Amino acid sequence: MSQKVVLAVPEAPPPPLTTLPPLRPLHAHALRLGVLDNSKGNADHLLAMIVEGVQSALPVASVVSVRKLGAGMPAPDDLLDRLTREADCVVSAMAD
Amino acid sequence: MTSVSALLESDGASIEVDDDWDTINNLYLQRGWSDGLPIVPPTTQRLEQMLAYCDRPWDQPVARIAPRWGDATPLRLAANAVMAGCRPEYFPILMLAIEAMCEEQFNLYGIQATTHPCAPLVIVNGPIVQELGINAGHNAFGPGWQSNATIGRAIRLALINIGGAIPGTGDMSTFGSPAKYSFLVAENEAASPWQPLHVERGFPAHASTVTIVGAENPHNVNDHESLSGLGVLKMIAGTVAITGSNNASAISMPTSGEALIVFGPELAATVAGDGYSKADVKRFLFEHARIPLGSFSDENIQRRLKVRSPELYAQAGPNAMVAAAERAEDFMIAVIGGAGKHAAFLPTFGTTRAVTRALKRRDGELARSVQELRV
Repeated sequence: MSQKVVLAVPEAPPPPLTTLPPLRPLHAHALRLGVLDNSKGNADHLLAMIVEGVQSALPVASVVSVRKLGAGMPAPDDLLDRLTREADCVVSAMAD
Repeated sequence: MTSVSALLESDGASIEVDDDWDTINNLYLQRGWSDGLPIVPPTTQRLEQMLAYCDRPWDQPVARIAPRWGDATPLRLAANAVMAGCRPEYFPILMLAIEAMCEEQFNLYGIQATTHPCAPLVIVNGPIVQELGINAGHNAFGPGWQSNATIGRAIRLALINIGGAIPGTGDMSTFGSPAKYSFLVAENEAASPWQPLHVERGFPAHASTVTIVGAENPHNVNDHESLSGLGVLKMIAGTVAITGSNNASAISMPTSGEALIVFGPELAATVAGDGYSKADVKRFLFEHARIPLGSFSDENIQRRLKVRSPELYAQAGPNAMVAAAERAEDFMIAVIGGAGKHAAFLPTFGTTRAVTRALKRRDGELARSVQELRV
């Protein structure tokens, strides 16, 4: 029977989510939809189809659509702030 | 300092397994804690030897590695260093490289998660190169040197295990790259006719530094015929001027970032011998590495170039020339390798800027040897 040995785990767990954002009530019983386009070639087409699909299935009060300057970087704070203010939920697309 | 044994007792920090090499390697493979190659088991004793070169708290993160944003504690980094086969004295370079690539301007999140085949390349400068025997000469990007191979591998293991760069999940690279196994070299300062990379980037010559570049594999420039600096530079410019590079201006958005040009010592000597400084080389490449607009597809012209830079391309015809970088200073230059008439072009991810950091003691002074960092 082999001896046991203690070995280090090299993996890090993802950091825990300390606070979950509260659920947002729908604005005037209709969805304020946000769209974050990553600027790749197909993103605008895919997102337009998704918006159309959501609008045909749910009451949508408004759509706010923003576009990143480049796919390889995070959306800047001002875009994220705008989505936070003006949307109840956001659809983001890679659309490679 | 809390002992390694005590730290390994904390939740999830260790596992107990049969002390059998095959069993251990199979387990680490199954759990996805490997790059696919066999690992050296990270035992308490080996961790202690590694951490003897770390005078910072072993359980406090030195960085958080994207995209998982896992805490890179010295303990976890040491585990990955042991697994990669690092000698303990290599550990300060691993820590330094991880800290540098986690600086915001490097955009590690993008580099880890992109479909593009880039990886963090580490270029080491300064006295540490000789002390640790890091290869700057023949086959510097290839196998044969323990320091190049294992420090580079430890970085990759940390990017996988701590950063979550798991193929198909956190690392979405279409092809991947051999550079994702290990990608660490030293600059051949002794054979360079120019200022070393770290000095050019603002550090004293006696500093030991790492420069992190989010780069593709080297693409060779074979030039056995040019006898002049002008000839060599024309050949390099021709190699750099390609449509599919992320650095070709107007392709990457919003910036095209930097491109790395590596000169073998012989071609560097030819170019410098004809009076070209590094700045001259950069200016030449900026002016001559140009791509005819008509070489790009119509879709790229309409949807990228004209959208990104309408002032340049809205009315331009197919013979208009597109620069292979946005600015002359976006070409980085290093001298690496042994004898032979070769240079190399390493396109980068584009949305990234290189980061250089110096090895320092805890009091903030430059470390002249890794031995100064022993606990």
